[in-house]
Amino acid sequence: MQNEILFVILALVTIVSSVVMISAHRPIDSALSFIITLISIAALFALVNATFLFVVQIIIYAGAILSLILFIIMFLNIKDDNLPDEKYKNRWLLATSIIITPFSAILIDLILRSDIAVNGVSDEKFGTIKDVGLTLFSEWVLPFELVSILLLVALIGSVTLSKRKD
Amino acid sequence: MNTILILLPLVLTILYSLATVPILVWMERRIAALIQDRLGPNRCHINGIRLGGIIQSVADMMKLVFKEEFWPSHIKNRFYYLVAPSIAFMSAFLTFMVIPYADNVTINDTIYTMQALPTELGVLWFLAFAGLGVYGIILGGWASHNKYAILGAMRATAQVIGYEVAMGLSLVSMLITYGTISLNEMVTYQAQSFFIIPAWGIVLQPIATIIFIVTAFAETNRAPFDAAEGESEIVAGYHTEYGAMKFGLFFVAEYIAMAASGALIVTIFLGGYQLPYLSTTDLINNFELVLWLIIAFAVVSSFVFLKWMRKHNIFAMTGLNETKVYTTIIIGFTIFAIMVMSYYALGIGHASEVGVMLLQFAIFTVKLFFLHFVFIWVRWTLPRFRYDQTQKLGWNILLPLSLVNIFITAIVVVGVNYGN
Repeated sequence: MQNEILFVILALVTIVSSVVMISAHRPIDSALSFIITLISIAALFALVNATFLFVVQIIIYAGAILSLILFIIMFLNIKDDNLPDEKYKNRWLLATSIIITPFSAILIDLILRSDIAVNGVSDEKFGTIKDVGLTLFSEWVLPFELVSILLLVALIGSVTLSKRKD
Repeated sequence: MNTILILLPLVLTILYSLATVPILVWMERRIAALIQDRLGPNRCHINGIRLGGIIQSVADMMKLVFKEEFWPSHIKNRFYYLVAPSIAFMSAFLTFMVIPYADNVTINDTIYTMQALPTELGVLWFLAFAGLGVYGIILGGWASHNKYAILGAMRATAQVIGYEVAMGLSLVSMLITYGTISLNEMVTYQAQSFFIIPAWGIVLQPIATIIFIVTAFAETNRAPFDAAEGESEIVAGYHTEYGAMKFGLFFVAEYIAMAASGALIVTIFLGGYQLPYLSTTDLINNFELVLWLIIAFAVVSSFVFLKWMRKHNIFAMTGLNETKVYTTIIIGFTIFAIMVMSYYALGIGHASEVGVMLLQFAIFTVKLFFLHFVFIWVRWTLPRFRYDQTQKLGWNILLPLSLVNIFITAIVVVGVNYGN
């Protein structure tokens, strides 16, 4: 019962803050509500005992990436007159959400049929540091290393692009 | 008993973080004065009782609390402006939650963890909330609508992002060494001896220790890395537009962050609550002997302190005679403590578990205050780094050094465990 109440509260916070993130006028409002979204998703992880995912979500997304985004927003120093005039924003949002409805119905149906929705998180160790580590480095070791090479390529690419002299 | 033991670490967290702030402010001023060859604040008193000057920092806190809540008229985003100091404060406070103050206590087959949060996350929890602390600074600087504030906030952000990488990597090498992320298990590991030297983190991993301490200074925006509030260039940095208790929260948050990183350094690198060569079971088994040693230490130290105090406490103040009051209190307290301790030392009462727990609190506190002293000592010894020097140190020196350290650690750990 306790968990259900917490889940409902956290889910509401997640949904409201992500809607605010999409519809906010100023970029800083979007960035800050995105932080709230990420932290409440982290809390949802904690609710199913996935402690490692909880803490990694906060360290990497809420801690590092979002502070870089905020840093860039501050760096650009956007004034209110520079922002685009969004007169019909609410109508656009309404129209697109109506168009999207059938697709989201399919998506919800898929999620409801998935393994985790039917059985729930049965394993107590789901998402603890040992479990995640063992799964990553035994079952998924090749994709894991490939992803890290991909990240390295992106890193080197961005450095070379920024160092290029025209 | 059950409730008390569960609440105890929470109360201790508040004591170590909030209640030490006036003491830290006092230490900062008196040690700064010591280093600059002057006396520091020591005249403020309540009816003649000065407590060596601690009353001065209490008075300062009272001043901040009762000051007028002033709103600069150009602030447009009042919500962000108001919420920024509380974010800085909250995240600094939350980092304290995973520090173990004593070993797990077993009473009547129930195990009580002496951390405020009984979680295994340990170091990762600290990293998570230390990283969130920078939002307070970013928001405060941005919402202030002031060039100095925004410059300070940008400096702080760039510095924290840069140093967090090196901090995380130096912690990775410690995780490889200890083989766990739980702070309590790390402290238990450090109870071992390595030949004749205690296997503390500072002995096993000197490079990681140095990197971590340097990055901890940078993360908490302490001097020599306090370019974010460099008075000579950008007034007061991100808290230029803040006054009264809104500034007070930033101020307290800085000290709590310093206390939390000090506690983490003690836990990971300086053996936590352990005495060298003595594990918790040794202490519990020889509890009577330990108590006799403590009684001897209490007698000698209070005698030395009394002699020193009576020689140097010579300012004439109005009100009570301070020296007399202190002498009475110290003698009375020492006699009381000796009576209580000898009750257990003679074997009449039996409380070795709780006694060892209290002893470990005391050891942890002594180590923590030594770390506070080091933080303050460095602040008043080294001049502030220039901003580009800070960045260069973080990215060009500390980051490669910690990467190399991880490789060496991994090779050594795999090599040592290869035969097994």
